Amino acid sequence: MRKTLLALCTLAVSAGAGAHSASDAYLNIVSDKSPSAAAAASSAATVLHGQWDIALRDLEFVLKLNDRGDGELTWGEVRRHQAEIEKYAYAHLHIAGVSGGACSIEPTRQMIDEHADGAYAALFFDVKCERSPGGFALNYDLFFSIDPSHRGILVMRSGNEVATALLSPQNAGITLNP
Amino acid sequence: MLAFACLMLSCMAGAAADAAAGAAAVGAAFKAPYIPAGDSDVLQEVPSVTDPAVASMQGLRAQFTAQPQGLPAAIELANAYVDYSRQIGDAHFAGYAEAIIAPWMAKPLPPPGALLTQATILQYRHQFDDARVLLNKALGEDARNAQGWLTLATLDMVQGNYQAARKDCAQVTNTAGFDLGLACSGNLLSYTGQASRSLDLLGHAAGAGDKVPASYQAWIQGLMAESAERLGDWPQAESHYLNALKLLPRDNFLLVAYADFLLDRGRAKQVLRLLRDHTQSDTAFLRLALAQSALRSPEAVRYTWIMAARFEALRQRGSDYFGREEARFALQLQHDPRTALDMARRNWQVQRAPWDARVLLEAAKAANQPRAATEALEFLQQTGLEDPIVDPLAQELRSQMQSHGK
Repeated sequence: MRKTLLALCTLAVSAGAGAHSASDAYLNIVSDKSPSAAAAASSAATVLHGQWDIALRDLEFVLKLNDRGDGELTWGEVRRHQAEIEKYAYAHLHIAGVSGGACSIEPTRQMIDEHADGAYAALFFDVKCERSPGGFALNYDLFFSIDPSHRGILVMRSGNEVATALLSPQNAGITLNP
Repeated sequence: MLAFACLMLSCMAGAAADAAAGAAAVGAAFKAPYIPAGDSDVLQEVPSVTDPAVASMQGLRAQFTAQPQGLPAAIELANAYVDYSRQIGDAHFAGYAEAIIAPWMAKPLPPPGALLTQATILQYRHQFDDARVLLNKALGEDARNAQGWLTLATLDMVQGNYQAARKDCAQVTNTAGFDLGLACSGNLLSYTGQASRSLDLLGHAAGAGDKVPASYQAWIQGLMAESAERLGDWPQAESHYLNALKLLPRDNFLLVAYADFLLDRGRAKQVLRLLRDHTQSDTAFLRLALAQSALRSPEAVRYTWIMAARFEALRQRGSDYFGREEARFALQLQHDPRTALDMARRNWQVQRAPWDARVLLEAAKAANQPRAATEALEFLQQTGLEDPIVDPLAQELRSQMQSHGK
């Protein structure tokens, strides 16, 4: 008991070394105003382009990317796990047309993006809709079940307009009106 | 300062609306997304199983997964996560800890153990008021909980409630025994102008024997370093820092406190060496930026820019407030005393450790607004803090106020 307590005491007393980077992901969406998109009434057309930056540190925690276990995550390791990363990420992002038309997220490619707190997997995607969707209902629940303090920082651009939202367990579903 | 140096960075009094409004840029990415040149390019440092703390967390995780309904295993794992967050200066693991105990926190009457762990997480994030509510709830259920009393003592000390902290320390003695009570009281005395006696008490607490864990000994050594600093006894302070770091060489919170000591002594080059492998931690990174600036290195601009981007990322996620650290950043690296003063004043409403007073006084002086420090000056007078760096600053501001008043 005593030993446990002494171990805990340091935790209690120095518990605060904080406000170090917590878990963030950056979701950037641009609406496609090209003529082909406008003509989306007839067949499925791309209406949004997205870039989703997810910290490699977070992906390591859930997917164990560092195969060698040496603490140095390489491009080779990330590359070998890209399919898994894609599957995991897109299971936690849903975009639907408000007016009922079916939309789908189609991954295009993965790259690496550097942020101030480390390297991120940059997942690029297009959103295609069968008919003009009006607006979009976006649902985001990346990492919330393993880290309720995770935040998705959404920036939506449409022409000259920029809208932002902070996605959290309390604010996981939002409507976009490009 | 050491005990609470850890508390300094995450002064997050969330303002999500501001954060979102300010988030015009894409999370401050540095360059266009790219494909690395080769498979062997290292992109990111991640926790390694060769680190005993990581291996131990994996063991605890396996134990928890085998029996996910068991509260003791959940708490043990969550506490290990929080401790790891603190050690490496990375808040991700505090979030993982929160998820582990969430099912118990969702109950109508969460068990005291879960309340305590959640309070520790909130305290780590500087959500002090919320942490206090949970601690009081936990101690209401279980008044013999030593960890609860010690956590409350910490909270009261960081917020400058020294009378309350005295009572909390008495409860620590009652519930955990003499040595831990001495450590608690010894810590407190360094804030009330009795650093010499503080060192005596901590010395006794350190003598508790070899059977105690290294983390306990390192904690006491860190507190002793802080008390010696308060006496202006630099060689003694340094030897305690080195003792502590011998026990826990990678502890972010000790490294940062020692780095501050070195910066104050004009030994910036040593800071660069000390923190070379700790750039992931924001608190460590700020000290690296300060050291680069002190050395007038060409790297200083880059470090300042990255630090600004990290603060911006925190704001974007709704952690608008980084009080003490951001005030220091604004004052010393952005040379913006007005902003620094504004941040330091808001920070003072949340936490009142000697470093918080120092940052506020320095900013008030630089902004030539001595009256902005009135509240802090009164607090220092009431509590009797003695500190070779804070005292002359306070004196200078008081005499400036008098001459302004004439």
